Amino acid sequence: MKSPRLAPRPHHVVDHDGRLTFTCDGRSVGAKPGDTIASALYAAGQCVFSRSFKYHRPRGLLCGSGDCPNCLMNVDGIPSVRTCTEPVRAGMRVRSQNAWPSLSFDALSMIEKFDFLLSVGFYYKTFIRPRWVWPLAEKLLRRVAGLGRLDTQTPPKRGYDHEYRHTDVAVVGGGPAGLSAAYEAARLGRRVTLIDDQPALGGHLRFHVGTCNASAESDADVAGYVLAQRLAERVRAQSNVEVLSAATVFGGYEGGLLGVMQGKRLIHLRAERLVIATGCHEYPAVFKNNDLPGVMLGRGVRRLLHLYGVKPGTRAVVVCRTASGVHLADELLDAGVRVAAVVDSRCGSSRADAQTATARDRLRTAGVELLDSYALQEAHGRRRVDGALVVPLDPHGRPISHAPRFIPCDLLCLAGERAPAAGLVAQSGGTLRYDEARGRMVPDTLPPHVFCAGEVTGLDAETHLSAVLDQGREAGLHAAQSLDLAVRPYEDKKSGDLGESVAAAPTASPAAPEFGHVQIQKKQFVCLCEDLTHADLADSVAEGFDEIETLKRYSTFGMGPCQGRMCATSALRICARQAGHESAAARTTTSRPPIKPVPLGVLAGRGHHPEKRTPLHHRHRELGADMRLLGNWRRPFAYTEPEREYRAVREGVGIIDVSTLGKLEVVGSNAAALLDKVYTHTISNLRVGRSRYGVMCDDAGIIIDDGTVSRLGDDRFFLTTTSGNVEAVEQWLAWWTVGTGWDVQVTNVTGGLAAINLAGPHARRVLTTLTDCDLSRGAFPYMACRQAVVTGVDALLLRIGFVGETGWEIHVPAECGEHVWDALIAAGSRCEPACRVVPFGVEAQRLLRLEKQHVIVGQDTDALSNPLEADLAWAVKFDKDGFIGKSALQEIRERGARNALVGFKLRGTALAKGGHAVVVADKPAGRVASAAFSPAAGCCIGLAWVPVAVARGETAMYIRIGGGLEPADVVREAFYDPAGERLRT
Amino acid sequence: MSFLLACPHCGERSVYEFRAGGEMNRRPAGSVSPREWAHYLYMRNNVAGEQTEWWFHRLGCRRWLIGVRDTRTNTVIELRAADRPAA
Repeated sequence: MKSPRLAPRPHHVVDHDGRLTFTCDGRSVGAKPGDTIASALYAAGQCVFSRSFKYHRPRGLLCGSGDCPNCLMNVDGIPSVRTCTEPVRAGMRVRSQNAWPSLSFDALSMIEKFDFLLSVGFYYKTFIRPRWVWPLAEKLLRRVAGLGRLDTQTPPKRGYDHEYRHTDVAVVGGGPAGLSAAYEAARLGRRVTLIDDQPALGGHLRFHVGTCNASAESDADVAGYVLAQRLAERVRAQSNVEVLSAATVFGGYEGGLLGVMQGKRLIHLRAERLVIATGCHEYPAVFKNNDLPGVMLGRGVRRLLHLYGVKPGTRAVVVCRTASGVHLADELLDAGVRVAAVVDSRCGSSRADAQTATARDRLRTAGVELLDSYALQEAHGRRRVDGALVVPLDPHGRPISHAPRFIPCDLLCLAGERAPAAGLVAQSGGTLRYDEARGRMVPDTLPPHVFCAGEVTGLDAETHLSAVLDQGREAGLHAAQSLDLAVRPYEDKKSGDLGESVAAAPTASPAAPEFGHVQIQKKQFVCLCEDLTHADLADSVAEGFDEIETLKRYSTFGMGPCQGRMCATSALRICARQAGHESAAARTTTSRPPIKPVPLGVLAGRGHHPEKRTPLHHRHRELGADMRLLGNWRRPFAYTEPEREYRAVREGVGIIDVSTLGKLEVVGSNAAALLDKVYTHTISNLRVGRSRYGVMCDDAGIIIDDGTVSRLGDDRFFLTTTSGNVEAVEQWLAWWTVGTGWDVQVTNVTGGLAAINLAGPHARRVLTTLTDCDLSRGAFPYMACRQAVVTGVDALLLRIGFVGETGWEIHVPAECGEHVWDALIAAGSRCEPACRVVPFGVEAQRLLRLEKQHVIVGQDTDALSNPLEADLAWAVKFDKDGFIGKSALQEIRERGARNALVGFKLRGTALAKGGHAVVVADKPAGRVASAAFSPAAGCCIGLAWVPVAVARGETAMYIRIGGGLEPADVVREAFYDPAGERLRT
Repeated sequence: MSFLLACPHCGERSVYEFRAGGEMNRRPAGSVSPREWAHYLYMRNNVAGEQTEWWFHRLGCRRWLIGVRDTRTNTVIELRAADRPAA
């Protein structure tokens, strides 16, 4: 059945002259610009849009406003897109999901025949005996379960981003209440951000074609959509209002932060004041087959009619509890839809106003049956509604069920069951209460920075538009004015004037729906997302889950894509009735973000992995280095072959960029005292012009960092720390000065300095050509430091031997790094061929230091390593008072070391790796920390954590490599140059 | 967690600019038993209520601050430079 388009009207958002096409399940579908995917598909005659989660029942358009789970489809590879709000684009590829082989014939719908096996909590009850059944059943169930499939073939979508915004007043909801709140707050000079999830402002007024009842406004007698345009124009004319259209607020967080999703963008909106005008959403009544395609909510029907100009059906039955049903029937008649009946389940005389009375007369004249005091019992049909079964009610509202009437129809409109969209109220610190008279959860108390207006407070905007506008104005006014008061978001509630109750809405609201007389039958759906029926919930309550939070967890109602919008109120009533609670005592489930599903890409944002580069980065690139991310730093792993680079350092001269070292300046008359405290070594007796290796421990005696300390003056020290640890060390030093009143400044100069290590037997010859500083062994011994001019640049030279050769660590201003690097290489090429300066990477450096058994903190040590066991006892001075970790280390010394970090050598030709297990007496007893093949030793060497018995040579050690055990020998001295002659030369 | 901290040097900033330094405890002075050390090192009060704690403004003044925060609501009652005495 094709649903023809209506004649163009001014309130239609579709361009009736335009035409574009897209594909749905491979077939080409025509659409008009302005359509949503769903409106175009509906106009093309599609009535089944998806298959339900559990039973694979056909589902059609229901809410038409992005609330329910019925129209989820895969759009251009993105699963579970709400097609009723997604604008159509030419050429887009839409596919149905959760259906096989096709939407119209889904083989899995046979599951429904076995619904007795799939009761709530079935995985605790069925398929578990005999025991071998469950593994098979689980496999099958997991394959069948789930909504939509992630398309792993198409490349990940790009363009996700995050944005940070601040505003005075955030107004959520662009309906009449939100528009008047935004206008009022802006008029008072505040920065206002208005967030609306529809493509255009106006809320329900956009599809309100009747004249408005806004007596307080000068716009009293215009059509709703005209009023919407006027209100929107008035807001847009204010320069201090920012409108975020088609943007969803999915959560309210601490500190007045709102999570806003606009397309692929996540906006972190920080608002001083929040006006919640989120309106309400309609939800279906509970009756048999209430999920059949053709059953549609009133506002969904109105959207199809008045926004997209689509005729929603040919013969309609309207079910309502308010006057809004009468008006809807009137509008359907106008659009050429035959209306069979209007079923009003209110009992007693209907209290119709003049406008409604006129509409009723019109309907009667047009031959529409007005069935007052009738209730809808069942929707009839297989793939689409073909009729409604209604029963008359007695004066007490009890159905006289022996006389159901069948009314043929293909459209069943459910008008008027509404629940305030109050999730954001609860998330912003407000409380909700159940309004018995209206049968709705409404805001009760609000924190001082939050204000509410419109249908979210329980008002009906269709009947009380002027009250809604007034409420909006008042909320905007209060929000704007309260900014002058010193009320901060989430300020201590004791000090604020918390508890501004939401003003009682005018009376004459719809009566609370009564569930007392509904008989529990099969296929009365409550939760459409999870396929839960009235009977399922009643059973769960009977099983003892009679409190709404436990009922939710057990039955999973409200956990699907709609997040309870379609089911929460019904579930609350069913729970209360079945458990025998008073409804008023029932509380709703806790509302947590996200209120609406947010794609993970939006949360992830832009692929944003900042990395640090040294001042010499481009030199490494020019040299063709293999640049790898090590920690946060992008560093040269190797330029050529690591072995060749290794050999250059051992036999000639090597050069490596060590700018990644943390560099701190510690200055002040108490600098030495601070360093004495944080290092286990004594620093205060270091002479000016000398450097010393130091280990830092925490109070538990655990190594937190190591590095060199150089004394540049009496009150001036230069520290290096391990790469990537400098921030922690800086914070650690600063922390220990708090409250001491010491004269000491710690400055992180890591980024300001480039550092180059020139090392190798010929290093001195190369460096001498660039500086006047006397580099001779006597004048510049090992572990000395000098400030000197190198190739015209002020430099700090440290004679340090991490790689085990004569060498200098040259620290120069970052901007001179490339100049000095170039000069050093050029100097090498001017000397004899043996002095050629060869750049080496991190891999060669690791091997060079491993041959010297120099420990790398963080690689060879972990969060349980102390210096006594890590072979660094020589750097711990117990005769020094009060250094950090002393008590703990003394304790360890008295207790005796249990493990030791030792060098080892493999007897065979196998290669060990960091992480391999050390095996002693057939039991794992330690681990390899670092290992590599050493050209100097001619075998695989490494550092390993072993029990002390192994370290003392009392027991043999083995290393488990690839399933076999390789014997290894402990080596307690350096593998290369154990006496350290080459370092000191 | 999205609350704001009013840094006494830099003004109101997102909590993500700060490093949380944990609750403030008195470090044992002088020679104390290992049990007392262990208590200081490993035991936390973990109060549900007002807690005095350390903050470091990493992406701002790079200074240590002392704050008082209600751990249940993340309401920050006070934040001052660590060198200043409590108000």
